[in-house]
Amino acid sequence: MTTTPSRTKEIGVSLTQDAWRRLKKSWAAMTALWTLVAVVVLAFFTPLLPLQPPDRDLTRQMFAEPTLSPIWEDTFAFEAELVDQLDAEITEARSEFTAQREEFNQLRPPEASPEAIEEAARTVRRARANVDSLIQRPYADAGFPKLGPLARAMVRARYAVFGEWQLASVCGRDKLGRDLLSRIFWGARVSLIVGIVATLVSLVIGVSYGAISGYAGGWIDNLMMRIVDVLYSIPFVFLVIFIISVLSEDSVKEWLAGYGIDRITIFYFVVGAIYWLTMARVVRGQVVSLRNEQYVEAARSLGVSQGAIVFRHIVPNLLSIVLVYLTLTIPRVILFEAFLSFLGLGVEPPDVSWGLLANEGIQVITPVKTYWWLIVFPSLAIGSTLFALNFLGDGLRDAFDPRMKGR
Amino acid sequence: MISFILRRLGWMLITLWVVFTVSFFLMRAVPGGPYDSERALEPEIEANIKRQYNLDLPVHEQYWLRMKGMASGELGSSMKKDYTVNRLVREGLPVSAALGLLALAFAFSVGLVAGIVSAVFRGSVADVSLMSIATIGIALPNFVVAGFAIILFVFTLRWLPAAGWGSLDQLVLPALCLGAPYAAYVARISRTGMLDVLGQDFIRTARAKGASPFSVVVKHALPTALLPVVSFLGPAVAGILTGSPVIEQIFAIPGLGWHFVQSAIDKDYPIAMGLVLLYTTLLYSMNLIVDLLYGVLDPRVEWK
Amino acid sequence: MPPRLAFALVCLVAMLGGVVAVVKQGQLPPADFTFNNDTEIESLDPAVVTGQPEGRIIDELYEGLVKLGPKDRKPMPGVAERWEVSDDGLTYTFHLRRDAKWSDGSPVTARDFVYSMRRFLDPLTLAEYAYQAWYLKNAKRYSRAARGVEIGDRVEVELLEPSADALPFARGEVLRGELVGVETDPGVAAEMLDDPAKFIDYRTFVVSIDGEEQRFRIGDRVPARAPTGAKPCRQLTLDFAEVGFRAIDDYTVETVLESPTPYWLNLLGFYPLAPVNQRCIETHGPAKWTEAENLVTNGPFRLEFRRLRDRIRLRKNPHYWNRDGVALETIDALAVQSLTTSFNLYETGKVDWITKVTPLIARELFEAEPPRDDFNPDAQFGTYFYAFNVTRKPFDDPRVRQALVLALDREEIVTTACAGELPARSFTPPGLPNYDAPECPDTNVERAKELLAEAGYPDGTGFPKIEILYNYEQQHQTIAELIRKQWRRNLGIDVSTRNEEWGSFLSSQRQQKYDVMRRAWIGDYLDPNTFLDLFVTDGENNATGWGDPEYDRLIREAKAEADPEVRIEMLAEAERILMREVPIMPIYYYVSRSMVKPYVYGWYNNLEDRHPLWALSIDRTATGPNDFMSSEPVREIKLNRREPEGAEQ
Repeated sequence: MTTTPSRTKEIGVSLTQDAWRRLKKSWAAMTALWTLVAVVVLAFFTPLLPLQPPDRDLTRQMFAEPTLSPIWEDTFAFEAELVDQLDAEITEARSEFTAQREEFNQLRPPEASPEAIEEAARTVRRARANVDSLIQRPYADAGFPKLGPLARAMVRARYAVFGEWQLASVCGRDKLGRDLLSRIFWGARVSLIVGIVATLVSLVIGVSYGAISGYAGGWIDNLMMRIVDVLYSIPFVFLVIFIISVLSEDSVKEWLAGYGIDRITIFYFVVGAIYWLTMARVVRGQVVSLRNEQYVEAARSLGVSQGAIVFRHIVPNLLSIVLVYLTLTIPRVILFEAFLSFLGLGVEPPDVSWGLLANEGIQVITPVKTYWWLIVFPSLAIGSTLFALNFLGDGLRDAFDPRMKGR
Repeated sequence: MISFILRRLGWMLITLWVVFTVSFFLMRAVPGGPYDSERALEPEIEANIKRQYNLDLPVHEQYWLRMKGMASGELGSSMKKDYTVNRLVREGLPVSAALGLLALAFAFSVGLVAGIVSAVFRGSVADVSLMSIATIGIALPNFVVAGFAIILFVFTLRWLPAAGWGSLDQLVLPALCLGAPYAAYVARISRTGMLDVLGQDFIRTARAKGASPFSVVVKHALPTALLPVVSFLGPAVAGILTGSPVIEQIFAIPGLGWHFVQSAIDKDYPIAMGLVLLYTTLLYSMNLIVDLLYGVLDPRVEWK
Repeated sequence: MPPRLAFALVCLVAMLGGVVAVVKQGQLPPADFTFNNDTEIESLDPAVVTGQPEGRIIDELYEGLVKLGPKDRKPMPGVAERWEVSDDGLTYTFHLRRDAKWSDGSPVTARDFVYSMRRFLDPLTLAEYAYQAWYLKNAKRYSRAARGVEIGDRVEVELLEPSADALPFARGEVLRGELVGVETDPGVAAEMLDDPAKFIDYRTFVVSIDGEEQRFRIGDRVPARAPTGAKPCRQLTLDFAEVGFRAIDDYTVETVLESPTPYWLNLLGFYPLAPVNQRCIETHGPAKWTEAENLVTNGPFRLEFRRLRDRIRLRKNPHYWNRDGVALETIDALAVQSLTTSFNLYETGKVDWITKVTPLIARELFEAEPPRDDFNPDAQFGTYFYAFNVTRKPFDDPRVRQALVLALDREEIVTTACAGELPARSFTPPGLPNYDAPECPDTNVERAKELLAEAGYPDGTGFPKIEILYNYEQQHQTIAELIRKQWRRNLGIDVSTRNEEWGSFLSSQRQQKYDVMRRAWIGDYLDPNTFLDLFVTDGENNATGWGDPEYDRLIREAKAEADPEVRIEMLAEAERILMREVPIMPIYYYVSRSMVKPYVYGWYNNLEDRHPLWALSIDRTATGPNDFMSSEPVREIKLNRREPEGAEQ
């Protein structure tokens, strides 16, 4: 088969189209795909939904069972006016924060004592926390965890549409009387983001590493792959636990918080940094076989730069394995977060993740009393999502399998 | 083959050295130490403790001392408790290994059978349901699986003991929960492998020659279909070994996994470091064994 | 069969054989009595441990001069078969029984007690509980080593090396003499000399030994600036002969106290003061002497083996003087950490006593139908509280602290996160016969807001974000979350929560790196002093930065007060100050929630929640409630349930 560089794109498209056509024929994969789309969309628009705030406790109703009647209640206590009222205060706090940061930036080690710098840093942090706290106040009062600007806008929109109406606790309530359904939705946001971001981090590392290794070949390839072999035998799970517990230390954490890094961010990178190994191996294998394809040779003879060849001609051809890998790694990361939650190293309240919910759920399963809804519903959420991801992964693998071509 | 093994061992030493160095400096860099307690200590007392742990020496001497210790097999002693890492390993490693092996055996036997049955009866109800069950293993955190299993097998059916260590029946549930996700992976891998093989010419030939369906599957297809499963052995061993802390905690099994978690969380650095090195050695040797095994099973592979 | 498959099969069989072998090795005949000790203990050295799990084991392995009864915790003869107290209440003379033996058969003598007490007070032993023995005359000075001596004192100098004939792990050779002078290095600035962290760096101690003056520097090396002829020494302390603890003869021990201490006998029964075997320690050294094959103890039981994170097995000590009075032959102490697992083991009959159950399970046990015959919760001598770091703003302002205390809804906490615990408004728990603890004011949100406004934060405006620090455990987390919400709801202030693991948690406490911190205190003996002593200025376990001269005076003078009623009144006055100033916020009083199987006898509820195992017996044929179920509770414990309400408050 002779191909020219200009035709690669077309072949790629037709390959993808072919795969897509095959995927559509597999009902399991399609069900999985639509389930996932639904989960992601729901998670993204959770602040818009008329759910109870996830951190709103009602201890008088602790462990209330799931109820379907009434299904609506008008108890959403959100002071929309407060948002505008606080505007002036926020502006003031902001300017104070800016002023203090300026002051802090003026301090230089030789003249200022370390204590003074430390003190100034603390003042800056406090001023920043003050701004945050003012912005979050109306939402925190209603029982929301810390929200980003988009989520805040969605909450306001939701209040404008639904007013004080919200869904009753159709999935029951937990030990503090918080609504489980809402916690599952909000947990989905955290768990999915953790899964996706960490996987993307590992993807970037894995694909670049594998592509470079495979493309370079020779002793570089040899060395790079040997390093991967070696890394395989490092107990990364342990290392992650260790790193996370070290980084949770007060002083380290304060220092990191100064750069706007919190535990979750660390988690993305640490987890991302360990799941790239398999990706690197697979990508390398693929690249080695692609490298010898004639169109790559042609590109090279036309004087296209090495980097351009790797990233324009080879990387796109890795689409299929990358997709499969994505669907199989996201579940592992989500489970890993659950594992850390079990150890008390996962997300911290008032944030909530599926792992945290599963852990809380398993605590209330005892031989004398079982609050079944606290484990069954979170398990269903985790289970169905991961189930779907796995089936989609299988479907994709089959669909991209060249041997299946034309079937 | 000898040179292959030697070369790999050389790499292992380099790995261990790197891991040692990184963890050594990582541990020095973070706060916390052996004398953290509820009260303040006089400086000379603190100095005395530091001397006991050689923390008063210059860093390069500490590094050298620790490395000598490690090289001679002395993994160090706990800073918070009254035992050495060697003792902990001596007691915990056989337990972890037994649990891990059982979980591995469970994962591979159940996974293989499920995978083969699914492949042979592709598209049938058995295939779909087996694969669905297999996926549950991957889709739930293992502490959730363990929680359900305890309620079901211990309190509802009353078949198995709740926890502990000392008899085989106490190991059944933990091994089951630990191995479940890997059984699922094995089932899926072996199903794929089997499907590949069953479509190949030599199977068709065997069928045409009138071999019974059973002997076609077991004698002709299985050895080839096993190869991808064997290559999964390495990652599975790593996962089972390092994934055991949760199971050890839930089932009160005195293995190494929870020791590690506890020491990392308590910042008991000598234990954490000793165990990281031990696990690195273990995983590396396991990978080596798997590679050798691969060669035994597949004559096409040559050691380079 | 193809050879390759056969090879794989052989490997598999070999592996499974290994599994079976390992499991077989772990197999044990069950012990007479099994209980869950909650965690792997830190050490079996009585001097250095502080935790309850360690105490449970050490109480059985060792026996002090007196021991405390299982029911009312009254002192009863231990190694001392009788004792006399002088009329001024200062001197106790203990007569040791002749048949007390170590587990290697050698006799327990007064010398063993003197050795153990010296070791306990030695600052290098790092005995956290050493202050419990500071009631002894000069004991505190001994523990402060070089900082506790004055010119003219008899002192002992511990050299770096042990004497030639000593056992391998003995302490350095000891020289005794009189301290005749302390020389400071010339040319060192006064503030360097005053810096407590550099106390030993610039001082030379001149000791007259047998009429000859010798110079000593503390530390491994003598710095160049030291006067010539100065010798290095490990440490320099008061001569132990000056401490009020001495052997009159082989079988008589005399203790002399600083001031009359009504609970001195109870303290002597407290496990850190148990005697240890000198030969064992000095032969095997710090790391090894507590191992099962080396350990020599004198208690009702000896250590048969210890499997890390699995179990400790105790077996009756054949040399124990009262071996016939001990019913159990073997005891297993499990190290199961997870409370759910522990309860599962209990319910399946593998364990005979568990020391606690989660609040969630406890709530079901309270209301079980038919009523449980193995669950009888009782008050415990402990308080769960939050401490404020008064060295940080805004907690330096008592009005802020009071506002935070007033804004706390304890009712919600005990009904949500607890089961049976009583809301606490004093630091000393109730239950002491003649002490009525003064309380801090009850919840009053209006007043709290006023106080906060007075302190300059009307409606919480400008109040900095504060953080609650707790160690990771479900219940602590729930309580921290509740308090965060209550403060936010009632005062409009911003609160966050953070958890740390036990080790870091303790160092945060020690270094006062926190705003608000969860803490708890369980009384070591039945007297308000065990609680109030904590918050004297710069106290060992104060860690809040709070101090009050009047408070210190009351605690100090109460210690020297001979009249019990006046003493109690002084302690009450001190607690009134504490509850007015509120550097701490009491939340609830502990309740012990043990579960004990009905066939276990000799197990009694008591305020200290300590249960000696030598008193236990098993009778599977007896009917009727055992001692546990029939013991009269100190205070009736009922389940507080929150009335469910449909509407929001």
